[in-house]
Amino acid sequence: MKKRVIGLTSVWVLLSVLVTAQDKFFTKNGKISFVSKGNIETITAKHKGITAVVDSKSGAVQFAVLMKGFEFAKALMQEHFNENYVESDKYPKADFKGQVTNNSEVNYAQDGSYNAKVKGTLTIHGVSKEVEVPGKITVKSGKPQLNADFNILLSDYNIKIPAVVKENISNTVTITVDCALEPLKN
Amino acid sequence: MSKKQAIIISILLVLAAVAIYVYREYNRTNKDLATVAPDYTVQATALVNEFLANDSVAYNKYRNKILAVQGMVKAVDNVDGDCTVVLGDTMELSSSVRCLLDSAHAATGAGFKRGNQVTIKGAITGFKKDDTGLLGSDVELNRCVIGGE
Repeated sequence: MKKRVIGLTSVWVLLSVLVTAQDKFFTKNGKISFVSKGNIETITAKHKGITAVVDSKSGAVQFAVLMKGFEFAKALMQEHFNENYVESDKYPKADFKGQVTNNSEVNYAQDGSYNAKVKGTLTIHGVSKEVEVPGKITVKSGKPQLNADFNILLSDYNIKIPAVVKENISNTVTITVDCALEPLKN
Repeated sequence: MSKKQAIIISILLVLAAVAIYVYREYNRTNKDLATVAPDYTVQATALVNEFLANDSVAYNKYRNKILAVQGMVKAVDNVDGDCTVVLGDTMELSSSVRCLLDSAHAATGAGFKRGNQVTIKGAITGFKKDDTGLLGSDVELNRCVIGGE
């Protein structure tokens, strides 16, 4: 009996160690897209290589994306986006560093869908701004998936719309994030 | 034909040519890189090391260029029909070259196995320096196709 208890305790301790080792999750294949609905034209772009890291213990989150990886249906739009709007050669990366403010309400060990509030610093075009974004963390088979939809203003990030197309391009851009994360094995 | 008519016809032809050019330019899509010759042919690890040594010098050298990268397949990430082939020369989760296949060629990476030696051609999107200390820094390519010709 004593041996069995010791054996079971050992298994439990080992399992605990394994579980606590899985407190960080990441992806390098996350998806991010944006939509800008102008008067004449809707501009959309997709990116399939966003990096995301989440520490389930502390609620720290980090995202990073290379601007040149955004793909547009039209090559000319892609060139204008990189050269005139976000100046990708000068500011190649956009990132977000923040915190799930209600992390205690998210049970990463329990499958389910949790509303999350994320607060942090979003840096685009070399301009950093504090943002608060509502999102969703869906835990499936022990792996979290992050989803968020939020709006930003181009003017907040010093992204200028040329006067000639000012009427056609919206200052508001809707960003959609969709990242399925895997456990990070250190 | 009078001189006046000839001038009018010439102007109309020029306007038609301009209209066709503008229409084509506006609707131009990104080229399939299968038929585009690479500007550089490089080894995956050598490319990563170039960026690690001095990322701004390396970025200025390779920006807007088409690269054919030779290396060993460390991983193949298939997510929702998209395929990213990760190239390097060691199997650890350290710095790599991440090649996102063109959606028209996504299926061509399906048969790749870890350890295969391959050449992948793509448009460089840059170098993602790792701020976390956990993930490794990567050179990223998109619109990739298999082969280096």
